[in-house]
Amino acid sequence: METVPIRMDRRWLNDFQKHMESDRGWTSWERFELALEAAKTQMIPDFDTLQSLEHLQDFHPLPHQVETARRVLTEMRGRAILADEVGLGKTIEAGLILKEYLIRGLVKNALILVPSSLVLQWTRELNQKFQIPAVAQKKEWMWDKYNILVASIDTAKRDPHRSHVLKHHYDILIVDEAHKLKNRRTKNYQFVNQIQKKYALLLTATPVQNELAELYNLVTLLKPGHLGQQQAFSTHFVAGKRKAKNEDQLRKEVHRVMIRNKRSDGHIHFTRRKVETVPIILSPAERRLYEGVTQFIKEQYQKGGHMKSLLSLITLQREVCSSRDAAFLTLFKLLKKEVDGQETLPPNVYHLVNLLRETDRQSKVEKAIELVRSIKGKTIIFTEYRATQDLILRNLQANGILAVPYRGGFARNKKDWMMQLFRNRAQVMVATEAGGEGINLQFCHHIINYDLPWNPMRVEQRIGRVHRLGQKEDVTIYNFATQQTIEEHILWLLHEKINLFQTVIGDLETILSEMGSEGDMEKSLLKIMLESESDHEIRHRLNRIGESFDEARREAKVKQDQMDVFIDGAQPS
Amino acid sequence: MEPNQVKAFAERYLNAYNCQIIKQTPHQLTAKLSIEADQDLVHRPFYWMYVEKMGLPPQTITVNWAFEPEIKQENGEAELLSYGSPRFYQMLQSAQKHGRYVRLYEDSTIPARARSSSKPYDPWLGINYRVSFICDMKKDEILCLGIHLRSGELVENFYPQIRNRKWTSRLPAHRHILPPLMTVPEAVGELEYNLQGYIEQQDLSWVKNAKEQLNQELQQLDAYYPEEWRMSDELHTEKKQRVQETIRQYHPKVEVEVVNAGLFYLDSPPIQLQYPSSTL
Repeated sequence: METVPIRMDRRWLNDFQKHMESDRGWTSWERFELALEAAKTQMIPDFDTLQSLEHLQDFHPLPHQVETARRVLTEMRGRAILADEVGLGKTIEAGLILKEYLIRGLVKNALILVPSSLVLQWTRELNQKFQIPAVAQKKEWMWDKYNILVASIDTAKRDPHRSHVLKHHYDILIVDEAHKLKNRRTKNYQFVNQIQKKYALLLTATPVQNELAELYNLVTLLKPGHLGQQQAFSTHFVAGKRKAKNEDQLRKEVHRVMIRNKRSDGHIHFTRRKVETVPIILSPAERRLYEGVTQFIKEQYQKGGHMKSLLSLITLQREVCSSRDAAFLTLFKLLKKEVDGQETLPPNVYHLVNLLRETDRQSKVEKAIELVRSIKGKTIIFTEYRATQDLILRNLQANGILAVPYRGGFARNKKDWMMQLFRNRAQVMVATEAGGEGINLQFCHHIINYDLPWNPMRVEQRIGRVHRLGQKEDVTIYNFATQQTIEEHILWLLHEKINLFQTVIGDLETILSEMGSEGDMEKSLLKIMLESESDHEIRHRLNRIGESFDEARREAKVKQDQMDVFIDGAQPS
Repeated sequence: MEPNQVKAFAERYLNAYNCQIIKQTPHQLTAKLSIEADQDLVHRPFYWMYVEKMGLPPQTITVNWAFEPEIKQENGEAELLSYGSPRFYQMLQSAQKHGRYVRLYEDSTIPARARSSSKPYDPWLGINYRVSFICDMKKDEILCLGIHLRSGELVENFYPQIRNRKWTSRLPAHRHILPPLMTVPEAVGELEYNLQGYIEQQDLSWVKNAKEQLNQELQQLDAYYPEEWRMSDELHTEKKQRVQETIRQYHPKVEVEVVNAGLFYLDSPPIQLQYPSSTL
């Protein structure tokens, strides 16, 4: 017969007897009944039915996410690698698992280690979607004060934080972007290995990038010995850097601790993206201003001007494409610098100011109004510049179109308020910020890129606000392109050459990192724009970037396929 | 738990904790909290510290709860009170904190007898236990036991059997209590002994399962780490830590806690309801 240790709590008896002696402090029958009912409400009726789903408010995880949580809790018993492809909701899965353990009282303290840029986003998701009272770790004293902390792994691994973390027993440790733990000799790996934890979740979309040893390290970090000793693993399973042997057995072992959902499994239906280029033709006055600025830059560059001021000149050039208002600000700043201590304006600057003054029409904003009118539905307009944002808002308002602003600098509740207004009242949101936390605009399916960031990731983030899980309609993306300007070149590269707007969510980051230093697109583009003597040269060099992007894309695909083969045994399609 | 159940509970809670319900519709409720409820449901320790220090009359909060998400959408001011909302969780905790111990006399409608004779009460001890079965997963069971403090007779489902009776907190006139023949600690001992028997009769395959898993994982660790004498200090610490983690994860155990307990003075013994024996 099985025996099991039983702990009878008797601390209550003392209290009870005190009440008896004094015949005081008794509660009422109603309160007695409520207490028992409350206890019954919180009772966990069985070992394996998910309780967390009933606790969620206004949020419904997808079936594959629920199934993943269930398997981690029951089959994997709380130690697992969540390796879904990007965009399938690993965070949601981890949140569900954490919530379940919290409800069951099996987890009281939790540590969530993420890249520093994701700390707030994680905290917010756990708070909002799961009502988990997670707190973002900011100060040293917080380690001992809060039970559920989201922290930057880079902060946590350094003293004085490190010693705090290592003295705690965590009931669960969750590590996001866990591919950063693939090398056992790194500080990250050793740190995570030292943390005392009961349950552990490692989240990564790329459990293997370059070699099988990475997978071994990750699994061993999670469950030492699961894939045997390193030597034995190498002899038994490794045929080459990226080639496995005894693959079926390896796969079987890996699948006991790892779940990987893929887009191709059909868990999620993504709607289509339609891309339209909207050509803008500058008015003669606007044209003169643009040419004036271009000329100015050339002169400054040839004079060997400071790199820094040259950069702000390129900005000026981009701003002219966006709006006169945006350009005005930058020009004003330049002017202040130039004029400092001088009696009169240098003639070339004076010339620019005049050109700016003469610009009467704003072709782009007129087009935007026209387009918004024809769309009729909810539309989000993205611009890079505050001044342009104000201009668009003013003009929409003047035309009787209800619009709300959205900026990175808004306080959290103002952001929420603007989102709510956009959802319920306004037709248009004009946003300067796409990245970061929490804007989910699935109810809108028209995006206008009033101007384009030069960093493709930021373009993708913009689209990702709208084209994401839960979007039911096809999404239309309108790209404004001012003819015969720098803007046209950029759009040509992003749209025609690298087909950015159709790139699958998540692939972009991999491709850009595959490109190495060239992947810093913003820098590469600036360089090209500064150095090129002619439009022809610009095209030529942009073309080269496009080619290396394609090459990186192919390379990333090959790696991806290899990974799929030894994780899933599927043949590459 | 459905929204209407949440509402019913909240309403009863507010009444039991002397809050003032100002307005209510089928899906919404506005109430001014009592101090007791405010301190438990609204987290503002500094305010209470301040009020106490300054000797000010406390201003309690007026809550506005919506019980359906749609109602919440319409009324931005309202707070959604649902099964999973943190506020409801606070309420459940508060209810358990303050509903621990009672001493109650059955309030019978039997007309008082002649002055000379006093009718006796039978003393009973009722305890509601939460039994938690814990390994890497967990489940609970709530057992409502009762014991007659004179005969030692044990009653299962004690609470359900007495819950429809009427109670008073003062010993009514012309009544007396038959003296208990066992002390409360003795009675508790009896109940615990009985509980232990009950637990041991349960399906304990989960214990077996957890032990097997634990052993398997420990074996895996043994196989992975080199023999003791070959390990560096660091590796030694690491292995020790992994072993402890694994034990913490799987070690099967049962924990018994008391939800609440009471002395009940009954006119008539509880009537055994018919339950299938498996549910006790």
